[in-house]
Amino acid sequence: MSKKFKITICSGTACYVMGGAQLMMLEDLIPAEFRDQVEIVGSNCLQACRDSSNGQPPFVRINDYLMESASIARIVDYLRKH
Amino acid sequence: MTFINNAAIIKRQLMVRLARMMFAGTLGTQIDHIPLQQAPRESQSVRCCIHHDRAVLRYRLKALLGFAIENETTEDEIRSLASYVTEAEQKGDSRFGDQILTVIDEACSACVRANYRVTNACRGCVARQCIMNCPKQAIHIENGRAVIDEKICISCGICAKACPYHSIIFQPIPCEEACPVNAITQDERGKEKIDETKCIHCGRCLQACPFGAIMERSEMFDILRAVLNPAKTTVAMVAPAIVGQFNTDLGKVVTALKKLGFDHVVEVAYGADLTAAREAGEFVERVEHGSTCMTSSCCPAYVEAVNKHIAGIKPMVSDTPSPMQLTGDWVGQQWPGARRVFIGPCVAKRAEARASRNVENVLTFEELGSILVAANIDVMECETSSPDQAASSTGRRFAIAGGVAAAVITAAAEKGVKAEEKLFNGLDKKAFATLKSLDKIIKNTTFIEVMTCEGGCMHGPGVISNPVVARRFLEKMLKDQQ
Repeated sequence: MSKKFKITICSGTACYVMGGAQLMMLEDLIPAEFRDQVEIVGSNCLQACRDSSNGQPPFVRINDYLMESASIARIVDYLRKH
Repeated sequence: MTFINNAAIIKRQLMVRLARMMFAGTLGTQIDHIPLQQAPRESQSVRCCIHHDRAVLRYRLKALLGFAIENETTEDEIRSLASYVTEAEQKGDSRFGDQILTVIDEACSACVRANYRVTNACRGCVARQCIMNCPKQAIHIENGRAVIDEKICISCGICAKACPYHSIIFQPIPCEEACPVNAITQDERGKEKIDETKCIHCGRCLQACPFGAIMERSEMFDILRAVLNPAKTTVAMVAPAIVGQFNTDLGKVVTALKKLGFDHVVEVAYGADLTAAREAGEFVERVEHGSTCMTSSCCPAYVEAVNKHIAGIKPMVSDTPSPMQLTGDWVGQQWPGARRVFIGPCVAKRAEARASRNVENVLTFEELGSILVAANIDVMECETSSPDQAASSTGRRFAIAGGVAAAVITAAAEKGVKAEEKLFNGLDKKAFATLKSLDKIIKNTTFIEVMTCEGGCMHGPGVISNPVVARRFLEKMLKDQQ
């Protein structure tokens, strides 16, 4: 069965150094209510940093949505609203 | 849980901008644009206005070029950053002075001295236990609410305990609270100053300050100059804690370092193997001569703490050189005249390196990461390659608390000396008190490991990865190695 959200965390060096390292804790820290709804995958560079109009790293893709300046709190907030 | 810290991110963004200009060869002409690029005209300011933000960014860049802010004169305020680049170039390879950390007084918010503050939860009650019980009469009522006079308050905390509404809170001065040796204190303007005679360079103040007012005097300018110069041989000596710093295997980091321009990459964990063997030999010898205990010596902040604060236990500290020293010595024999750069998580290693003939420079993981971003080198996409000198799992375990003790005790047992283990996992005030009276506490043959950072080097101030994540990588690597 496919999950409601597929969260792809960019682990490219630019994202990782600019705060993405903390996102690796998402699996440990995500509230229990979402645990069954999300599939969390790490990824090589999503190339989002190549285009400055995408905003600032770290980047995360949630289904089709590209989140800039991602943090665990912002990801959880997004899940709550969708 | 650790949180994303905007002050740290700004610092890294500046490192990237500075390194990018060095790669492009435009630093000398363009560096004065960096504060404007980082805080452009239309952006929202963090401090009172963008001009203050830019002034602070300017000081950060000075620290990144290796200068100490404390040495600035009034005249220097109108100097261009470009002139500092020229000065840093002229300085050449000669070493900086002793000061490792620098306080940007312009960034320091001069935190309120009194640690107790009345919040707006105060209801101006009739009981007024805060006023009635204050031993210094430091509290009065203003507009129906209690107010503490900061100049009189002695931070005893009685008011906070007395308030039935819990409306009085404890608010520390973060850098002072973090410092285990009271080396950072306020001057008459409320700005923080570091006392070099007390500082052990653990780097906790730098992590603690919410204004990012404390910076390391970076060596990235010198290091990049050497790395970019094809005539110079440069050797990257990566600390055991490198594992997991880029969310990938060590092999990819090795390739990334070579792409960056380092000629050779050596694991300091190799030196840790040597340290473990030598330290075990030293321990056995000491035990045979009647000693009951010996402490580790690889954590430079701990060694500095002994020298500056608990000199009485100095005879118990191992004389074996640290893994960085032994690795540097080996590298020096292997590639004579090469520039040896220790890459690690540690601030105190800068001080150790400055006093050493075995290492020329120190770079933190955070600095390395920013430089790789500037060079557009993606570690995840690098191929895997082997370091020029690899290590065993014993040396690699030095990255986490307990690794040193396990190595020494195992090696000593092989030589017929059975010892107990005592671990000081994090150097705080309590640990200091215990260390001071070691001889009274330790009865049996014991090897003592002291790590200034709780959890070990992977929790150091210069790391990128969350230590929980990094540790998983290390454990996987050690498992695969078996």
